[in-house]
Amino acid sequence: MNNKGKRPFGKILMILMMAFFYLPILYMIIFSFNDGKSLTSFTGFSLRWYQHMLESNDMMEALYTTFSVALLATFISTAAGTIAAIGLSKSKKIVRNLMEQVNNLPMMNPEIVTAIGFMLLFITFNVQKGYITMLLAHIAFCIPYVMLSIMPKMRQLDPNLADAAMDLGATPWQALIKVIVPQITPGIISGALIAFTMSVDDFIISYFVTGGGVKNLSIIVYTMSKRVNPSINAVSTLMVVIIAAVLLIINLASMLTAKRSKKDVIARRRILPGAVTALAAAAVVCVIKFGGGSPDRPFEGQTLHLYNWGEYTGENIIGDFEEETGATVVQENFDSNEQMYIKVANGESYDILVPSDYMIQRLLEEDLLQKLDHSKLDCMDKIAEDVKGLPYDPENDYSVPYFWGTVGIVYDKNKVDIKDLEEKGYNIFLDQKYKGDVYLYDSERDSFMMALKALGYSMNTTNEQEIREAYDWLVQCVETMETEIVMDEIIDNMAQGRKALGLIYSGDATYVMDENEDMGYYLPEGGTNLWSDAMVIPKNARNPELAHAFINFASDYDGAYDNSSYVGYTSANQEVMDDIYGDGGVYEGINAYIPRTGYAQDEVFVYNEDTKKLLGDLWSRVKIAASNAD
Amino acid sequence: MKRFSQLALPYIVWAVLMLVMPMALIAVYSIMEQGNSIIPFSFTLEHYIKFFTDPDFLLILWRSFAIAVKTTAICLLLGYPAAYFIARSSEKVQNGLILCITLPTWINMLVRTYAWIGMLSDGGMIQKFLSLVGLGDTKLLYTEGAVLLGMVYNFLPFMILQVQTALSKMDHSLLEASADLGASPAQTFRRITLPLSLPGVINGITLVFLPAVSSFFIPKLLGGGQYFLIGNMIENQFITVGEWNFGSAVSMIMAMIMMFLMMVVRKTEIRNQGGKEE
Repeated sequence: MNNKGKRPFGKILMILMMAFFYLPILYMIIFSFNDGKSLTSFTGFSLRWYQHMLESNDMMEALYTTFSVALLATFISTAAGTIAAIGLSKSKKIVRNLMEQVNNLPMMNPEIVTAIGFMLLFITFNVQKGYITMLLAHIAFCIPYVMLSIMPKMRQLDPNLADAAMDLGATPWQALIKVIVPQITPGIISGALIAFTMSVDDFIISYFVTGGGVKNLSIIVYTMSKRVNPSINAVSTLMVVIIAAVLLIINLASMLTAKRSKKDVIARRRILPGAVTALAAAAVVCVIKFGGGSPDRPFEGQTLHLYNWGEYTGENIIGDFEEETGATVVQENFDSNEQMYIKVANGESYDILVPSDYMIQRLLEEDLLQKLDHSKLDCMDKIAEDVKGLPYDPENDYSVPYFWGTVGIVYDKNKVDIKDLEEKGYNIFLDQKYKGDVYLYDSERDSFMMALKALGYSMNTTNEQEIREAYDWLVQCVETMETEIVMDEIIDNMAQGRKALGLIYSGDATYVMDENEDMGYYLPEGGTNLWSDAMVIPKNARNPELAHAFINFASDYDGAYDNSSYVGYTSANQEVMDDIYGDGGVYEGINAYIPRTGYAQDEVFVYNEDTKKLLGDLWSRVKIAASNAD
Repeated sequence: MKRFSQLALPYIVWAVLMLVMPMALIAVYSIMEQGNSIIPFSFTLEHYIKFFTDPDFLLILWRSFAIAVKTTAICLLLGYPAAYFIARSSEKVQNGLILCITLPTWINMLVRTYAWIGMLSDGGMIQKFLSLVGLGDTKLLYTEGAVLLGMVYNFLPFMILQVQTALSKMDHSLLEASADLGASPAQTFRRITLPLSLPGVINGITLVFLPAVSSFFIPKLLGGGQYFLIGNMIENQFITVGEWNFGSAVSMIMAMIMMFLMMVVRKTEIRNQGGKEE
C-alpha cells in the first residue's frame, strides 16, 4: 500500500478537506482577538473577550457542565454498554433482536424527537430539570452507540472462547475480564470515543432536558442571540488550545514510551485528549468557582435564579451584585417572551423574570406572579414617570420597569431619502426603490404592528379582517421586496451599513447609531409600539427576599447605568437616562435612546389569547412565503 | 455461557424506562386533546389531520427531507474518496489523518456552526474572496446553500470515520487475490471494496441523514429567520408556541417516516449481503 508520490487526487482532496475543516476554526481563533464586536472586520488586537469570558460565570459554568457531563456520561455509558453488549450477545436471539430494535430508537429517530421524549418523560414523572436530567439523557443516548460499536466485535468473537477458558479453570469473571474484554477492546474504545464526542457535541437533547439555569456550551451559544458576542470565540479558542496542548503532551509521552504495543498507543491517543481536556477544564472552573469569598454579607451562599433576555445585563452588574450580597446569580436567557412563558407556566422556578408588557399582563391573568413588597423596594422614585403605571400594571404592584423603548425604522442616511420616510412611513417597506435592501425583524408582534400601523389600524385590533389585511401586506412585502427576515444579526449588519432599511428596537438602533454615524432612527407618524420590559417575581420563586434586593440593585443608579450603557437599551431610571443621553453621555444625542412619549398613535401591547394564536400562525406563513420567494 | 446473558437484565429495565417510555409518551401526547398534562386523557386525531391538510406544513416536511438527502449525497461523494485515501495510507499517516478529522468534532457543533456566520456574512471573508474572482456581492448567509454547507461541515466527519473503519477492516489479501486473478482496479473496487465497505456506508448515511433531517440550529443560524425546517417547526411548538400535542404529533410523523426509511435501508443492506442477518 505504500504507493507514495502517487494518487495526487487523494492528496489534493485531503488538503482541501483539511482547509474546509480548519478554516472556520482558524477564523474563529483570529476573531477571538478582535478588538471590535464585529465578526467580519478585524479592527485591532485585544484580549477583552478573554477577560469577558473569564469574568462570565455563565461561560465558565457552561464549560464545566459540558465537560463534566461528557466525562461522566462517557464513563457510565461505556461501562454499562459493554456489560449490556456482552450480556445481550449471549442472550436468546429474540431478546437480542428486540433490544437492538429498542436501541435503535435514539439512533434511528431524529434527535429532536428523542429530545422531546426525554423532556416529556421528566415532566410527566415530575423530575426537576437540571444537571441530573441532562446527565441521564446523555447516558441514555450514548449507551446505544457504545453497544453498536461493541456488538460487531462480540459477533466476531469465537463463541467457544469463554467456554474454553472456563474449561481450563477460569472463573466466569476471569473469562470475562481476561478473555472477552481484551478481544473487544477496540470496540469499547471506539464506543467510548463516540460517546464522548456525542456528549460534548450535543445540543438538541441538552436544550430540551435542561432547567434551573444549567447550560452547556451549545445552549450558551444558541441562547446568546440578542447580540453578537465574541466571547463565544474566546471560549471556543480556549477549548481548541486545551485539546491541542493535550495532544502534544500525549504524542510526546507516547514517543517516550515507545515500548508499548502500537494499538495501545493509538487507543490512548484517541481517548485521552478528551479526558485530560475535561480535567483541565474542571480544574480551571474550580479555581474560578471556589477562589475567594468574604463573610458577613446579607445573602451569603444563597442563589438567585434570574430568567432574562440574552445579552440584557451590563458587564459588571451581576458580579457587583454577587460581591455585595454574597449570593450567586444563576442567569438563564430566553429569546422570546413565549419561550419564557412556557417554562414558567410549566412550573419551573425562577426568582426574577424580565418579560415585556403584554406578557406581564398574561402572567398576571394566569395568576403566576406575586405581589411585590414595596416596603422592601427603595427604587420606585427613581423610575421614569413615563414608564410607571402602564395599563398592564397600573399601580406597579407586580412589576418594576427595567428597559423600555419603541420600535422604529433604522435607515442609512446616505441611501434613504428622509422624504420617502416622512411621506410613506412604514409603507417604505413596500417601495420598490429599496428592493433587496430591507431587513424585517423576526417577531410576529412587531411585524404585525408595522403592517397594521401602515394600514392605519390599531396594533391591538381584534378584527380578523384587519389582521388578514396586515397579513397580505406582509406577504406582499416579503414576496416583492427580497426582504431578509433576521433577528439580532440586524445589529451588526446595520452597524456595517449593509442594507438601507430595517425594522428595529430602539435600543438596538442606539447601538447601531453609536457604531455608525450614517445611521438614523425614524418613528413613523402612524405610531409605534411603546414597549417596556419589567422585573417581576413569579409565585413559585424560591427566594423572593433576594429577588427584591436584586430589583433594587438593578434599578439603582450604578446598576441601571451599567446595564443601559452596555446594552444600549433605554434605562427605566430617569437619572441614568438623562445622563446617558445628555452632554458627555455614552449615547449623547442619539434620538433612538429617548423613547417618544405622549404621542397619541403610539400604543402599548395588550395580550389577547386568540389574536396571539392567529398572529403566530400567520407569521410563520409569512416566513414560508418569504423562503419560497427566494 | 448462558449466565453471561443475565448481564443484560439491568440494561433491559433501563432501556424500557429511558428509551421506550419517552416514545410512548410522545405517542400519547400526540393523540390527546389540548393540554400539557396527561390526565385527564381524551382521544383525538385532530393534530394529525391538521398537519396533513395544511400545504405549508407538508412543504416544510418535503424541504427538510430534500436538504437532508442533498447533505447525505454530498457527504458520501466527498467522504468516500477521503476515507478510501485514508484507509490505503500507511498506518502512521492513517492515524494522523483520522486525528485531524476527529479533532474538529471535539469542538462543539454549535460553535463550529457559529464560526461560519462570520465567514459567510455580508462583507465576510468568503464574499471578499468571491468578489476578487469577479463574482461580485453574492449573498451567502441566510440561503439554502449556507444551510447545506453547515450541514456538510458538521456531519462529514461521521461519514468519513464510518467508511474508513469499514475499509480498514477489509482484508488486503482479497485485493491482491482479485488483482492476481486478473481483475482491473475498477472491477476490484466494484466487486470487492465497495460491497465490503457497504456496512460503513450505511452507518455513515444513517449518522449523516438523521441529524440533517431534524437539525434546527443549523437552519436557524445559517438559514436565518425565514428558513424553516421540520426541526424548527417542532422546536417552535414546544419552546415558543406551547402546543405540545401538535408538536408531539409532528414528532411522531417524523419518527414514523424515519423508521420506515431506515428499515428500507437495512433491508437493502441485508439483501446485498446475501440475506445474512449477522
